[in-house]
Amino acid sequence: MLTPVVIILKICENNLKKLVIFLFGGKGVNRRQFIKRALYGAGGTAVAISGFGALTKAAPKPALATATNEETTVFSSCEMCRNQCPVAVKVVDGKVSKIEGNPNDSGFGGVICARGNSGPSMLYDPQRLKKPMIRTGERGSGKYKEVSWDEAYTYIAEKVKELQQKYGGESVAFASRKGPHDWFFRAIGKGIGSPNIFSHEATCPMTRSVALHSMFGSEAIAADYGNAKYIVSVGRNWLEGIHVAQTRSIMKAIDNGAKIVVLDPRFSVTASKGEWIPIKGATDLAFVMAMANVIIADGTYDKDFIERYTSGFDKWQVEVKDKTPEWAEKETGIPKDTIIRIAREFVKHSPKAILDFGWRTGITPNDYQLRRAIMFVNMMMGNFEVPGGYYHKKYAAVLKKFPEMSSYAKTLGDIYQPAFPKPSTYRIDGTGIKGIPGQLIPEGDGAVSQIPESILTGQPYPIKGWFVHRFNPVISVTESDRIIEALKKLDLLVVCDIYMTDTAMFADVILPECSYLERYDKVFDMSGKTPKYVLRQPAVELVYPDTKPSWQIYKELAVKMGLGHYFPYEDMEEFISRQLAPAGLTLDYMKQKGVWTPEGMKPFYIRANDHTASLDDIVHRTDSKIEFYSEEVEEATKQGIPKYEQYPQPQEGEFRFVQGKVAVHTNAGTANVPVLNELMPENSLWINQESANKLGIREGEDIIISNGKYEHKGKAKVTQGIRPDTVFCYHGFGRISPGLKRAYGKGINGNKLINNVIGEVGNVCTSMSFVTVKKA
Amino acid sequence: MAKHYGMVIQIAKCIGCQACTVACKFQNKVPEGQYRTMSPAVGPIGTYPNVSMHFGKEACQMCQNALCVDVCPTKASHYDENGLVMVDADKCVGCRYCLAACPYDARFINKETGAADKYTFCFEERLSKGLQPACVSTCLGGSLSFGDVNDPNSDVAKILGKSKAEFRLSELGTKPRIYYIYDGVVK
Repeated sequence: MLTPVVIILKICENNLKKLVIFLFGGKGVNRRQFIKRALYGAGGTAVAISGFGALTKAAPKPALATATNEETTVFSSCEMCRNQCPVAVKVVDGKVSKIEGNPNDSGFGGVICARGNSGPSMLYDPQRLKKPMIRTGERGSGKYKEVSWDEAYTYIAEKVKELQQKYGGESVAFASRKGPHDWFFRAIGKGIGSPNIFSHEATCPMTRSVALHSMFGSEAIAADYGNAKYIVSVGRNWLEGIHVAQTRSIMKAIDNGAKIVVLDPRFSVTASKGEWIPIKGATDLAFVMAMANVIIADGTYDKDFIERYTSGFDKWQVEVKDKTPEWAEKETGIPKDTIIRIAREFVKHSPKAILDFGWRTGITPNDYQLRRAIMFVNMMMGNFEVPGGYYHKKYAAVLKKFPEMSSYAKTLGDIYQPAFPKPSTYRIDGTGIKGIPGQLIPEGDGAVSQIPESILTGQPYPIKGWFVHRFNPVISVTESDRIIEALKKLDLLVVCDIYMTDTAMFADVILPECSYLERYDKVFDMSGKTPKYVLRQPAVELVYPDTKPSWQIYKELAVKMGLGHYFPYEDMEEFISRQLAPAGLTLDYMKQKGVWTPEGMKPFYIRANDHTASLDDIVHRTDSKIEFYSEEVEEATKQGIPKYEQYPQPQEGEFRFVQGKVAVHTNAGTANVPVLNELMPENSLWINQESANKLGIREGEDIIISNGKYEHKGKAKVTQGIRPDTVFCYHGFGRISPGLKRAYGKGINGNKLINNVIGEVGNVCTSMSFVTVKKA
Repeated sequence: MAKHYGMVIQIAKCIGCQACTVACKFQNKVPEGQYRTMSPAVGPIGTYPNVSMHFGKEACQMCQNALCVDVCPTKASHYDENGLVMVDADKCVGCRYCLAACPYDARFINKETGAADKYTFCFEERLSKGLQPACVSTCLGGSLSFGDVNDPNSDVAKILGKSKAEFRLSELGTKPRIYYIYDGVVK
């Protein structure tokens, strides 16, 4: 027992301690530092992370009313980004209270990222779209009237009919963020005979897909990060561009002693976990070619692998003969000894080594050649179909070809759609045409930034109508102002989304989709080292009763347009059951687990135990060889072997402008989501301390960024973590739609400052713009 | 041996993704603009190109000699049966003494309840039901571990057996239960 005297002494002692802390500050945390510290990279937009509330005590809430109510778990999949991670949605009293990772999926282990965690705040956001709307004022004026779904469908059906009659079905383009909705969304486009159907992929990993297809005849190649011992990132940022399973695998690899090397003009979070190499922008191919040069000169490549599994290596050898580390040092700014060391470390750790093929690619016009060269170096070391290297995804169709694995292969069923009319003409981006670069563009993706060009120029023929589904080209595609100019010229713009996006605000008709927490979707195949199917199912009733799931919206619209026969199902329970039946699975099973993987199956690497095992069943190129030299690429671009192209570097006073991802936001998707907006409401422009000094720019100051054609206001984040010749901002801010009340007008929209240059295989080119920066 | 709950934070494994920050908000219904925990960046430190950075988890340190408990005039701030610092919102009069007393600046007045609020290892909704705190169960980097430090088979005990841990402001004698491990981090 403490006597009163002791208590008084103790309080005095404590007050003395507090005084000491106030006067001199603590060693670990200074007073109010808790408040002032900000998210990495938020710059002048520090978020208060402690706060003072009401000065007087508010009436206490009823004592934890929910604590006594029953919590149920609904297994579904996330849609806060494109990755569709399996989640466990906690529901109390018909309301989503919390979202966690689905513990039934070992790749996730119950974990989900900040965006996934924030799902409920999007679900109940009063700023969501709630009713179908038809425009009544000028485009972009924000003047709309609420209409019934039937009125919206009728309006669209009549307008499309008009366009079909006047200009043909090809004059209507369709673009979505790729996902399970595409089966429904695209059926409208195919049904009216339009060849012009696009995904967002040209703004994301499409050059990688092109590269993989050219080499393997398949895009379904993935990296086994978790078992790798040496990982080189070429601008990849797993720890901010979060893909939960991959992010966890990278951290697992680091925990197991793997070394990470990061080539990036900016000091990313990923770079902070390894060796940061601040490479000169747009020179990555020089580094990769020099790696190949070193490995060939050392004679340390996997000769058996190359002979057994590949073709055309001799032409690659010739191409990189003069791409010495000395040469690459001049190009990249990386000391030659560093290049040699990294190449040798990579060899030493192969085949458990990964030179990463990137995610959001499309950095330069010939980016696909960089991705090919990267995979060439991996294949030179035989880092394929072994733990810690690359592998072909083991979905059912692949497993079926391996007798010892075929019992794990359960194939999902297709829902039969009658044959669509054959489009009467070619696509605006030349996709699929032999002898031109379009030959290499994946048919399901296309060059999405061609759409505004065709609207504006009428070349190769006019686009008059555009359907946009859960995609926001004004922010996601380069040169925002040009996109807006194009949108204003359209006869019909239909946007389906959950928010009044920067693209929706120009639409003639806005269709409000319900969120992922309120709907079914097609079961999706997320197979990796083992097969995996994932379900999305409603966790709660519709929050806004006049919103609808996309499978219903497009079915109903189709009926109005006379295309109902392309939607041969009643509802999604039936649709999903028909998908699952051939696999011997049921909707009930999927609802209970959310995810299916074959029980007892271990990760399957074809060459794990036999380094001579046949790869014929996964390589779909001539003679089943992985192609260094590609006849197809030669035919399309006259460059069957990647050639180095030297791109301009910024002149004195200029900066290369680059963008990237932050862990708490998804591209153009989440800036207005309440909890995420609260964490990071805006971005700022990263500028090197020394460069800022020269311009007299200080931390947090207002600046004007200009690319000569467009200007953007912003704030400066002065840092040591970026090259002096480069500036950077996180993507997805500077929103122009007043309907996004939290995000409106905050931060920098990087794509306003990047001209719409279409790359060689239809990709956007994110890092080819130079800007000047001055004080505002 | 009695249970001694502790949180171990391996700083090198934190990627600053804020999954913990958001999970905590929903788990504990923390009002808009307020946080029980967050993982802000420290850095970049150094001069280009030789820079480093890490993330520091901010939260109540669960002191065993808690100044907040000492100064609380109504005993709202107290130690529970496990010795963890808790706030009884019904007893709290919102006087803010504890906010001033906390050397870690880890407390705030909850905008909705008017009571002092802070990180609790999710005692109310999870720990008391045998679950890991929300931040730990959603940690992407594998930085956070929680458990009984006295149980040699627990994750926390195993990690502490291998690495040297630090307490924040250990010179104050507050004896926190949050163990920071800086292995592999340039401070």
